[in-house]
Amino acid sequence: MPQPHEVEILLVEDNPSDAELTLRALKQRNLANQVFVCHDGAEALEFFFGDGSHALREIGVVPKVILLDLKLPKVDGLEVLRRLKEEARTKSIPVVVLTSSREEPDIARAYRLGANSYIVKPVDFEAFARAVSDVGLYWLLLNHPPR
Amino acid sequence: MTRRTWNWSIERKLPLLVSVLLVAVVLVMLGAAYQQVRTAALSFAAERVTRSTKEWVNVSVRSGAQQRTQLATLVADPGVRDFVASGGKRGRDWALAAMRRIAPDNTPNIAMELWDESGHRLLLRGDSAFASDPAPLPASDSGVVSPYRVRRDTLILSDMQAVVRRGPEGPVIGRVVVVRRLNVSALARQMLTGISGGDMSLLIGNADGDPWTDLEKIMPAPPTEARAQHDSIIAAAYVRGDAKIGAAARIPGTPIMFISELSRRQVLAPSRGYLRRMAAIAALIVLVGTLGAWWVSRSITDPLRHLTIAAASIASGDLAQRVDVPGNDELGRLGNSFNTMAGEVQRARTDLETQVVERTRALSETNAELEAFSYSVSHDLRAPLRAIHGFARILLEDHGAGMDGEAKRVLGVIDENTRRMGQLIDDLLSFSRLGRKELETARVDMAELVRGVVEEVRRHAGDRPLEITVGSLPPARGDRNMLRQAVMNLLDNAAKFTRKRAPGRIEVGHQDNGAEAVYYVKDNGAGFDPRYASKLFGVFQRLHRAEEFEGTGVGLAIVQRVVSRHGGRVWAEGKLDAGATFYFTLPGA
Repeated sequence: MPQPHEVEILLVEDNPSDAELTLRALKQRNLANQVFVCHDGAEALEFFFGDGSHALREIGVVPKVILLDLKLPKVDGLEVLRRLKEEARTKSIPVVVLTSSREEPDIARAYRLGANSYIVKPVDFEAFARAVSDVGLYWLLLNHPPR
Repeated sequence: MTRRTWNWSIERKLPLLVSVLLVAVVLVMLGAAYQQVRTAALSFAAERVTRSTKEWVNVSVRSGAQQRTQLATLVADPGVRDFVASGGKRGRDWALAAMRRIAPDNTPNIAMELWDESGHRLLLRGDSAFASDPAPLPASDSGVVSPYRVRRDTLILSDMQAVVRRGPEGPVIGRVVVVRRLNVSALARQMLTGISGGDMSLLIGNADGDPWTDLEKIMPAPPTEARAQHDSIIAAAYVRGDAKIGAAARIPGTPIMFISELSRRQVLAPSRGYLRRMAAIAALIVLVGTLGAWWVSRSITDPLRHLTIAAASIASGDLAQRVDVPGNDELGRLGNSFNTMAGEVQRARTDLETQVVERTRALSETNAELEAFSYSVSHDLRAPLRAIHGFARILLEDHGAGMDGEAKRVLGVIDENTRRMGQLIDDLLSFSRLGRKELETARVDMAELVRGVVEEVRRHAGDRPLEITVGSLPPARGDRNMLRQAVMNLLDNAAKFTRKRAPGRIEVGHQDNGAEAVYYVKDNGAGFDPRYASKLFGVFQRLHRAEEFEGTGVGLAIVQRVVSRHGGRVWAEGKLDAGATFYFTLPGA
């Protein structure tokens, strides 16, 4: 795992299988080096706002994209999203909500809170892999982040 | 009463009935009373004329008897006999004196004559105007009164004769004639009728004919009905000028007849006046009665009308309406019952509404639970599925080289099944959501919707030869998203089952069966066995094996649910290997 200041993709995912599959997909596109995984919402908030080993404050470098699952233990995905979009420092980091839920309220709420994109995780691995890598590619290579 | 009057309001019927009744009763009673009064008046009049005639007859009889007696004395006087026997030569003064004794000088209506048998007048005492001229016919007997005769147009004379004999038994030598004049004048009439009663007329005349007099003037004889005689005096009705009631009697032993007469009109005049007065009172009674009836009927129909209005306003929703009907009579009790009932209805409605609110709340809770459930399902079921699928893949990709064909096949089965399960979950979820979701009804341009779906289907189909024709489609009314899903399912199916055809032909159109517009999707694909048509729309029901055509069997169930939620019907026709046509109806726009 890279150092915090080297993180290009932050993956917030509690399900280890999903995490593994996601990493695998990103690896296939050679994007796996700079992926950092948080396993729940509290860790994610720690990563951005907390003290300790994940402290980012001193560094001032932020990930290029956050892949955020909604169903997270401790702190819910939407709550994390809300916090991220509240803070000036983290507001402009693109957040891609990557979740199994296709429920309308979730989608609407996510966008309202400022998510940049909402992708439903398909069951089919191939489709899943393609979705993830497409996302990664887009946000890392094609999209120009604000500086 | 006619049908129509029976349909009148009570307010009209009651007074009408009462007034008709009153009029009938009043008429009957008035008629009877009037008849009675008339009868009484007539019989009283008859009694009066009868009595009057009787009395006058009695008076005449007495005076006639008196005169006869006097005459008998006169003719028995020897001096008078002597005078007559001498032919009037001797005893003249004696005769005059004898006459004077019978009729004093101041009796103006009498003339007395002495005649001999050869037709010579021997002596006349009195008004010469009365003198018999010519000689009177010998009377049949002494004391007989002659009929009236008219002298000089104005004098009515009648005479009585007595025979003079030579001796008590001797032969007739002469006769005495007393000529009386009937005093006819207004005064005379007044005097006489004044006694009988001023309205009665008294007529005297010859029983057999003219002349007659009403004591004021000479008049023609009354009609024969008037002069009809009976054993006792009986009043008769006859017409003499106008209708009269008169009682006639002959003065016994004379040809003179006497009639007391009353004018029928005068007799009945009071009863007519009575009738008029009674009719006025009767009219008043009828009027008052009708008004009373109308008032009573109002006192019934007013509360009834209030009740009707209140009932109508309750029926149209205002449950707080009550009526105010004072009194303890039937209407009052009706009003109270009505109010009680209205109160009950109101309470029941409130209770019902409370119940509905409760049930709705419970239902919403259940719905919310279902929503939560679906949410969980969609999330929590998919994650492990994704893991299974993904790791099976990883196994194949990373370790496939060391696997034999069988191992790979087994992995393929795992892969295939997880994919199916994912599809199933998706289908089940949308199927369930369809049942719960609220319909957002709007006008839906079916033609445009179908065109959009067709494009997507064509895209999916790729290079496969597929001919899709879309006919005219009338707009429908419903939830656009749901309808789109249903159409999508149908067209997906059509495309899927025509995969083995080249070209696959799909036709979308509509038919008008008179009452409703029927949409259809027709294909030339694999069709289905019509024996199992009833299973087509069941959830998870499939009529083809998975190897031939994939699918979870939920697509058509979704179509049916969508269509039936819109109030339409869906059905299908088909034959094995000869295509299928799916029809459905929707409410029009």
